[in-house]
Amino acid sequence: MIKHNFILFLRNIRQNKNSFFINIVGLSTGLICFLFIALWIEDEISVDKFHQNDSRLYQVMKTNKSSNRNFTSEWTPGPLAKTLPEEMPEIVYATNVLSEENGIISPGNGKEIRARELYAGKDFFNIFSFELIDGNKDEVLSGNQAVVISDKLALKLFGTSENIIGRDLEWKQEELSGNYTISGVFKAPPASSSLQFDVIYSYEEYKDRVPDNYNWTYNDPHTYVVLKEGANIEALNSKMTRLIRERSNDETSSLFLTLFSSKHLYGKYENGVQAEGRITYVRLFSVIAILILLIACINFINLSTAQASKRIKEVGVKKAMGIKRRSLGFQFLGESIMTSFLALLTALLFVVIFLPQFNQIVGKELQLDLQWPHIVFLLAVSLLVGLVSGSYPALYLSGFKPVSLLKGKFTTRASELWIRQGLVIFQFGVSVVLIVSVIVIYQQIEYIQTKNLGYEKDNIIYLRREGKMAEKLETSLNEIKNIPGVTGATSYAHNLTGDHGTTIGLDAWEGKDPEDNIAFSYINAYYDFIEVLGMELKEGRSFSRDFSTDEDKIILNETAVAQMGLKNPVGQIVELWGRNREIVGVVGDFHFESLYEEVKPCFYKLSDSGNHIMIKIEAGREESTLNSLKAFYSEYNPGFPFDFEFLDKDYQHLYQSEQRVSVLSKYFAGMAIIISCLGLFGLVAFTAERRQKEIGIRKALGQSSSQITMLLSGEFAKLVGISILVGIPVAYLLSINWLTSFAYKIDLRLWYFILAGIGALVVALLTVSSQAIRAAFKNPVEALREE
Amino acid sequence: MLLELNNIFKWVNSGNRRIFLLKDINIQVEEGEFISIMGPSGSGKTTLLNVIGMLDNFDEGEYNFLEEPIQSLKEKHRINLYKKYIGFVFQAYHLMDELTVYENIEMPLLFKKYSSSERKALVGDMLDRFNIVGKKDLFPTQLSGGQQQLVGIARALISSPKLILADEPTGNLNSKQGEEIMELFKQLNEEGVTIIQVTHSEKNAAYGSRTINLLDGRMIKD
Repeated sequence: MIKHNFILFLRNIRQNKNSFFINIVGLSTGLICFLFIALWIEDEISVDKFHQNDSRLYQVMKTNKSSNRNFTSEWTPGPLAKTLPEEMPEIVYATNVLSEENGIISPGNGKEIRARELYAGKDFFNIFSFELIDGNKDEVLSGNQAVVISDKLALKLFGTSENIIGRDLEWKQEELSGNYTISGVFKAPPASSSLQFDVIYSYEEYKDRVPDNYNWTYNDPHTYVVLKEGANIEALNSKMTRLIRERSNDETSSLFLTLFSSKHLYGKYENGVQAEGRITYVRLFSVIAILILLIACINFINLSTAQASKRIKEVGVKKAMGIKRRSLGFQFLGESIMTSFLALLTALLFVVIFLPQFNQIVGKELQLDLQWPHIVFLLAVSLLVGLVSGSYPALYLSGFKPVSLLKGKFTTRASELWIRQGLVIFQFGVSVVLIVSVIVIYQQIEYIQTKNLGYEKDNIIYLRREGKMAEKLETSLNEIKNIPGVTGATSYAHNLTGDHGTTIGLDAWEGKDPEDNIAFSYINAYYDFIEVLGMELKEGRSFSRDFSTDEDKIILNETAVAQMGLKNPVGQIVELWGRNREIVGVVGDFHFESLYEEVKPCFYKLSDSGNHIMIKIEAGREESTLNSLKAFYSEYNPGFPFDFEFLDKDYQHLYQSEQRVSVLSKYFAGMAIIISCLGLFGLVAFTAERRQKEIGIRKALGQSSSQITMLLSGEFAKLVGISILVGIPVAYLLSINWLTSFAYKIDLRLWYFILAGIGALVVALLTVSSQAIRAAFKNPVEALREE
Repeated sequence: MLLELNNIFKWVNSGNRRIFLLKDINIQVEEGEFISIMGPSGSGKTTLLNVIGMLDNFDEGEYNFLEEPIQSLKEKHRINLYKKYIGFVFQAYHLMDELTVYENIEMPLLFKKYSSSERKALVGDMLDRFNIVGKKDLFPTQLSGGQQQLVGIARALISSPKLILADEPTGNLNSKQGEEIMELFKQLNEEGVTIIQVTHSEKNAAYGSRTINLLDGRMIKD
């Protein structure tokens, strides 16, 4: 019987090649989207999950209250990690982890490699499950001069990762430069780790070299802890908060624990509370995956039920032979499962082919390794798809009464028509929503790209301040400025994409409410920062070398002036960290964070300790200027590679997720439309075939071909019209929802929706009309004779 | 007694009027009979045949098949009964276009407990008997109407039923092919198979041992 059903399945395919083709293409397209998204989601949710202590591995976060907002950060005081296990028995291990700018490592054989470093406490390898290939995990970080390096870095440095313990390495990174001895080798962190590093030094050494940063009020490293089984998080949070308030003498701070592995997906904090983050995109794409798969299943359902009349004789004859409805149901279900399985194989083939392109879009290194869990998952998916798309047709087909079938009477029930039309509406509704989403996302990204940021991000490069640049800032900057094509140069400590200081230490201005403690962002930079970035000075002056005491002055942004309620800010004295400072200027608001955030009150303070050099290049001579800069650099600063970045690239990087989402949503929307149109195509072809007789009679009675084309197309146009009406409100709500996360966003315009609607309608009509025209121009005599 | 219909009524309600499809039908059929049901279009011939074949229900009356009261049998039981004892032959043959002659004839056996070698033997016999061995791998569309109906009959006979129900078996055939089919029925009947056929043609009815005439759902003469 199975063989019989299989033969029937194959012969039916041969007879109905078109609809089989549509089914396979539709289902496999849906599955391709689904599989890609599944791969991506699997990767996203597995980040940081590989640590054996996962369920007990927490990060200590710090929230500071101020009158304008609560801000949460990962930076904690240096002594915290040492104190926590000593004073709280629930904490088994704790470590600080600090990463500076990547330094340069060299084994003394002339090789110099830039390496991503961490400074970590001695229990680092007990807390995190990074595999030590060589060395004892309790000891590798206990010596101050110890360095643990990754196997990959070892290969680059020595050509081997074996027997290198005890070798010396030279490390160049400002205060931390010096010679270190290899005490262990670890396996390079897997891609699923959010911590990525090539080399680890002892935090003890960092503490000794930079003692100013080690106290309870300076927040510098991250702190990670492993708790005892069953520890009470709430109780620990309040204990830690008491600790920090007592030690740092700051009643605005509080500490709390966050599961380390939740950081990747729930990385955003709003007003001190853990908010969503990447999980939003994980959810969004899960929904898209399921919707697209559903659209593909709907094609299958619609085509199978529409073509029921082709199978009707089989059902009738078999039932007349006493075959039970159940076995017929299973036969049809089996067919849909087989179809779904074939579609899965096709989809897998395409996933393998297009995985590199997909990886490029999402910026990952996903691989399709078919382990048993994967295979089971795939089989389950194809079974589910088969069941979802096959169960209604199976019920429907097997339910026919043999008598009416054998009489050749085949009437379409109204309910069935409703279902089919409802499904088409659903398909196109989803497509319309996706089209609107693509338009909205593109518009918002376009807006982000072209928004006036309050500074000019183009033609600016930046590089690390190392070597001679670190020693002699003023001379170095002068040398750089003398290079033709360079229009300005400065040094700065933070960046303009979210990294900046935050403090409530600005105080005592005229008219300040003593209860207020406003949180200010601040940027430490050298002379010419405003000029190089082309910011607009609203009042007063910029810092200048002509005044010898500018270290004691500050410049505010407009938001700061507004929030402080200052009338004539220039010349007023404020207190910063206990010292009086004069406001010398007010700069127009500029975006120093992503556009998700409102511009916050901010001040700019003169500092010569910035760790970056920023250079403005004359537009139009980028290449020659960069070449001269490179030549200058290798001579001026030997031993340090000229690694530079463009500022606008940095800015782009800020919206990488959005860029990726926009590209992906474009493809997914396209796929959804293709699948929907395929279904529509099949449906129209079939309707036309079934209505041949009606069309013949209409023509015989004198209706023109164009009238008949209109008649056939119009019906489907109506359905698409309804789906547009249904889809647009949904799209509107979703768009509004997505945009609320941005502080600066586009207004939704009517034309986004009109364009999406017209787009869907045009595509649908193109699909429908070719078939309708073909049917309409058929010779009516043929159609009538066929009866 | 093979089957017995006592006061069978079948109707449909149209608005508040009741339209009778079958009205007070009383038939007794002995094994080995060859019965023709005749009557004008719409007189209820096919409905009667379907009721006898248990493909269609009736609203009132009694139907005993091999002493089993059909009206009080469960669906499953009823299916088993006609699966075992009844074979259908249709006017439009109703062969499955996707299956070859061989596979069409084999199909009813697939849903019963036969081993594949038994099936092979039975189908082989049937092909021999109807002289269509050479056509076993052809598809129905490659056959003439008469040959298709032969296959249809072979398919009905494969599970060796006691009763063959034929709904205008020659309706789509030319007269020569029709005659051959009727000869075949006669021969089968002589071998002991009970046959009930619906027909328009007096000539075909003459092959039968008895004729039932229907008019507007009512028997007018037995």
